[in-house]
Amino acid sequence: MRKIVVSGILAVIVLMHVGQGWAFLDDLFGKPSGKSTEKKGQQGQKGLLEGIGSIFGAKEKDIDLFKKGMKTVQALQPIGENEEIAIGQAVALEAFNRFGGEYQNESVVRYVNLVGKTVADVSDRPELNYHFAILNSGEQNAFAAPGGYIFVTLGLLNTLRNEAELAGVLAHEVAHVTRKHMLNTIRRGAILSNVSELTLSAMNKDPEMFSNVIDEVTDKLFDKGLDKDLEYEADVYGLEYAYRAGYNPSGLKDYLVTLSEQKGKASSRFFTTHPSISVRISKCDETLQQYRDGVAFPVLAERFKRRMEAV
Amino acid sequence: MRQLVRWMGLVGLVIACSAGVASAATMYAKKNGVTVTAEKSPMSAVMATVNRGDAVEVLGESGRHAKVRTRSGKVGWVFKFKLSKEKISGSGGGDALSALTGESRIEAKETRAGGSIRGLEEASEAYSKNKKIDPAHKHSVERMEQLVIPRDELLEFQQKGKVGEFVGGGQ
Repeated sequence: MRKIVVSGILAVIVLMHVGQGWAFLDDLFGKPSGKSTEKKGQQGQKGLLEGIGSIFGAKEKDIDLFKKGMKTVQALQPIGENEEIAIGQAVALEAFNRFGGEYQNESVVRYVNLVGKTVADVSDRPELNYHFAILNSGEQNAFAAPGGYIFVTLGLLNTLRNEAELAGVLAHEVAHVTRKHMLNTIRRGAILSNVSELTLSAMNKDPEMFSNVIDEVTDKLFDKGLDKDLEYEADVYGLEYAYRAGYNPSGLKDYLVTLSEQKGKASSRFFTTHPSISVRISKCDETLQQYRDGVAFPVLAERFKRRMEAV
Repeated sequence: MRQLVRWMGLVGLVIACSAGVASAATMYAKKNGVTVTAEKSPMSAVMATVNRGDAVEVLGESGRHAKVRTRSGKVGWVFKFKLSKEKISGSGGGDALSALTGESRIEAKETRAGGSIRGLEEASEAYSKNKKIDPAHKHSVERMEQLVIPRDELLEFQQKGKVGEFVGGGQ
C-alpha cells in the first residue's frame, strides 16, 4: 500500500514537471527554457508535496524522501535571469581585463549601443537589458557574455565597412544570448560536475564554485570557442534579427568575406574560436535566400564612416 | 446511420474547437511598453501601450506591421516583430503547478525589464576582489549598465537611417 502511495506522489510530481516543459531534459539536451525564481519554486514544491502527500496519507518520512528528490530536479532547472546577470558581470570583468580594457569614446560607444539596441529590440528576448561595449584591442573579436553583456573590439570595428555589417555582427552576438548558448553549456557542465545548485545564494555562499563557472565560460568564449553548431545557429538567428531590424541582412556575411580575405594577415581569434569561415559564408548564403526583399534595406555606409571618424 | 451522423457531428465539433484555437489571431507583447499607434509609424499618435505578455487580437497585417485590438478595445498598429505568437510565460493562465500551489512560476513583469541599475551582484563583486581585478574594469562594467538610450533617441536614430520600424517609408 505504501508503495502505491509513494508511486502516486511520484507520478504527480513527474506530471507537474511535464507541465513545466520537460525542463530537466532540456538541461541534458541543451534546449533553452524559461527563467526560474528559486524561492518561489521551493515554496511551491513544499506546499504541493505536503498537500498531495496528506491526501494520499503519506508519512512525513516519505515526503522528506521526495523533497530530496525534488532538490536534485531543482538543481537541473534553467539558470534564472539574476544568476545569468551575475555570471555576465563577472565575464564582463574578465573581458575588460584580458582585452585591453574599455575603449572610452562616448560618441562611438553610444553609436554601437544604438545599433545594438535596434537589433536586440526585435530579438526573441527583447525584455533583457543589453549592454554593448568596445574593447581597446586591435585584435578582431566580438563575443557575448550571459545576461546581455556584448563586446566588440576596436580592431573589428575598424575592419567593418558599414552599419549593416556592424548590425550583423551584433545580431550574431545577441542571438547567442537569446538562444542561451553559454547558459546551456554551463548547465551541462554543472550536471556533469555534480553541482547541486546554480542559484544566486549558492553562488554567493560558494565563491570557488562561482569562480569555476566563470573559468569555464571564459575558457569557451575567449579561447576554445562554442560548439560549431551553436555558431551556425547564432548566424541564422542573427541574420533574422538584422532583417527584422531593417538592415540589409547580408551585413554579417559581408564581414565574414572581408575576414576570410584577411586570413593569415589579420589578428583574430575568429579563426580559432569559430568554425570555418568559408562554411559559415556558404550557410549564410543559404539562409539569405529567405530574405530577398532585404537586399533593398540600407547598409548605411556614410553614417557608419561619419560616426567612426571619432575613433 | 444515426451513429455515423453522431460521430461526424463529434468530429466536426472537435475540428471547429481546434480551428477556433488555432486561428484565434491572438498574439502577445514581447516586452513592456509596446506602443499601439494610429498609423503604421511609431511617430504617430499612441492609441495604447501594452506590456510583456499582454494579449492583442490581430485584425490584419500590412508589411511589417500588424493591426491589432487590445483587451481594452483600442485599435491601432504594432511593429509585428514586437509580438509573439507564443504566450509569454506567467502572463495569465499559469501552469499545472501554479494552479495547485496558487503561485506563478514566472511573473512576466518581475523580469529585469526596464532594468534598474544596481551595480555588481554580490557574487561578481566577490569574484572581482578574489581575482584582484583592476577596479577600473569594475567601473567599466558599471558604465556599461548605466548607459541608457531613451526611446525618443533610439527612434530618431532609426528614423534617420530608415531602419527598425521605419523601413519601407514608415514615418
